[in-house]
Amino acid sequence: MIESSYQQSVLRSNLFVVWNEIVKNIKTLLAYPTIIVFWAIFPIFWFIPFILQGQAFVGGLESANFAQITGSGEYVPFIVIGAVLNSYVNTLLYGMGENIRKEAYQGTLDYVLAAPCNKAYVLIGKAISESLSSTIFAISQLTISVLLFGMSITLGVMVPVFFIVILLILGLYGIALIMAAFSLMYKQSYDLSESIGYIFYIFAPVRYPIESLPTWAQIFGKLIPLTYALIIVRSFMLLGADLSTVYLEVIALLIIDLALLLAGFYLFSWMEEKTRKSGAISHH
Amino acid sequence: MVYGKESEVFSIQTIDLTKRFAKKRHRGIFGFLRKNQSENKHKEKNDVTVALDKVNLNIRPGELFGLLGPNGSGKTTTIKCLSTILIPDEGRAIVNGFDTRKETAMVRASLGLVVGGERTLYWKLTARDNLTYFASLYKMPRRDAKKRVEELLETLQLSDRADERLEDYSTGMRQKVAIARALLHDPPILLLDEPTLGLDPNFARQIRNQIKELSEKYGKTVLLTTHYMEEADQLCDRVAFINNGKIVAVDTPNRLKAMVKEKELVEVAVYRPPADIEKHIRSLLPDAEVVKLIPGDEDKGNPSRIKIIGGTAEEHVGTIIDALRQKNVRIGSLNVGVPTLEDVFIKLTGAKLTEGEIK
Repeated sequence: MIESSYQQSVLRSNLFVVWNEIVKNIKTLLAYPTIIVFWAIFPIFWFIPFILQGQAFVGGLESANFAQITGSGEYVPFIVIGAVLNSYVNTLLYGMGENIRKEAYQGTLDYVLAAPCNKAYVLIGKAISESLSSTIFAISQLTISVLLFGMSITLGVMVPVFFIVILLILGLYGIALIMAAFSLMYKQSYDLSESIGYIFYIFAPVRYPIESLPTWAQIFGKLIPLTYALIIVRSFMLLGADLSTVYLEVIALLIIDLALLLAGFYLFSWMEEKTRKSGAISHH
Repeated sequence: MVYGKESEVFSIQTIDLTKRFAKKRHRGIFGFLRKNQSENKHKEKNDVTVALDKVNLNIRPGELFGLLGPNGSGKTTTIKCLSTILIPDEGRAIVNGFDTRKETAMVRASLGLVVGGERTLYWKLTARDNLTYFASLYKMPRRDAKKRVEELLETLQLSDRADERLEDYSTGMRQKVAIARALLHDPPILLLDEPTLGLDPNFARQIRNQIKELSEKYGKTVLLTTHYMEEADQLCDRVAFINNGKIVAVDTPNRLKAMVKEKELVEVAVYRPPADIEKHIRSLLPDAEVVKLIPGDEDKGNPSRIKIIGGTAEEHVGTIIDALRQKNVRIGSLNVGVPTLEDVFIKLTGAKLTEGEIK
């Protein structure tokens, strides 16, 4: 049996791991009915306060000053795009570390780590399931924006947007792996997730254009994958730009993705080795 | 496989296996500050618990081998080192011919693992979902996995409730799922850590029968850890006693019991014995080899027990009763009998096998 279990194609067996990890996480998630409320209602609460604040400040849904900086005077779609993409950051940053912590707490992590499969595929499965729930959340947010604020979405533009969201998610997987690694060793990664979440929130143009930041902060912001994703998606959706205008940002996003993924996988396997030496997993 | 002396083949072999854990006394920021203020900083840095101390085991293919010891004696650490969950500090462990440090994936594929019991499953998922998930982690092709899951559900009489979430299962049923998980990839070696812990007698018997069958009918090598000596006595071909991370004795249950077989055993159930009762009886019975007080839980109706091994029981009984009366200790019952594996363990280590008694 030991030999035969290795006879199927490596790719197929790895995909089977990824698939089952996704199924497991989604089924576990759906076992809690309150999650439906989270997906259906929470999106409204996330960005409505900012839109109302904007309305109070500029006295309408458009601002000339805003148009000078961003090229488009409508700040509602600007805020919605920021909120939607930032929800991926939140889910992946907190979700992955929490997922590992839960597994360790309930005792299943030992079994996952003691299985012969490559753990990278388990982590990929975890990350995909986290981003799937983010996508449902994002769809809720966009639907609400269309229905309540008359935001217009051209379906044709959603294809390149989807591609950029995938690129953003890849970079976030790298950070999520780093969170998972910390969670493995230190039993929780909440504080680190919280700190990184705030850094992203301040230095990436989630709620305001990057030009609003001081120069040094703009330079720092350009190390964050979310910054590029926001710039590119807003260019597509609000300014009607195409890939030729933002290809440099796309390349920068790809490079950051690669660096983060490599760092994430390396750190996770290093921490796994460290916990097997120290017995930290058993001490959860 | 590992070839030992005279071409003997071993499924599991450990050579001077040693594992230490750093003692974590200081927790949080205040603990950290205290640690840095401590005058004894150097000593604390080196403060370690030796969980396994040069453990040597040779387990033959198809053998049902018991590792007996009290809680904290090193049983689970041994299992975790063998299953690659922990990396030993010194020594080697070889499983099915593969080195646990260098050939991790092959060791993992050779093993079925039951550690930590029912809590180690996903309670929000069904038995079928749990088994299918773990089958994928063992690189089983989808079709084989499906077939194997059905087979195991049937064998362990779980088919009827296979699509119910584990949170609705009893402890015994969840333990059956944990055993099914260990058997998914049909491994030649099973590591079972306290598989009957917390089960009602009926489920415990079912699990024991299952273990026996796996060894006898399917030729699996089983390493079973337990602190239930009757279980080890009933199931195991050979038994090793472990205490404070050290192997104290290894042999068949019968040979181990023969160490105290010719000795007579007196066991007295008592209520509220004073702290010095052991010393008092020992002073009155100088020829007794072992006088051991095993505290009970009187609130739950379990009296404490005093075990006396060695000497002549007939002569001892009167002296013991007098000694207990002198100390105003109420006697629940008094038995003269044949020593068990627990008595052997007490004789060898001075500790008992049940919880909280490790020295």
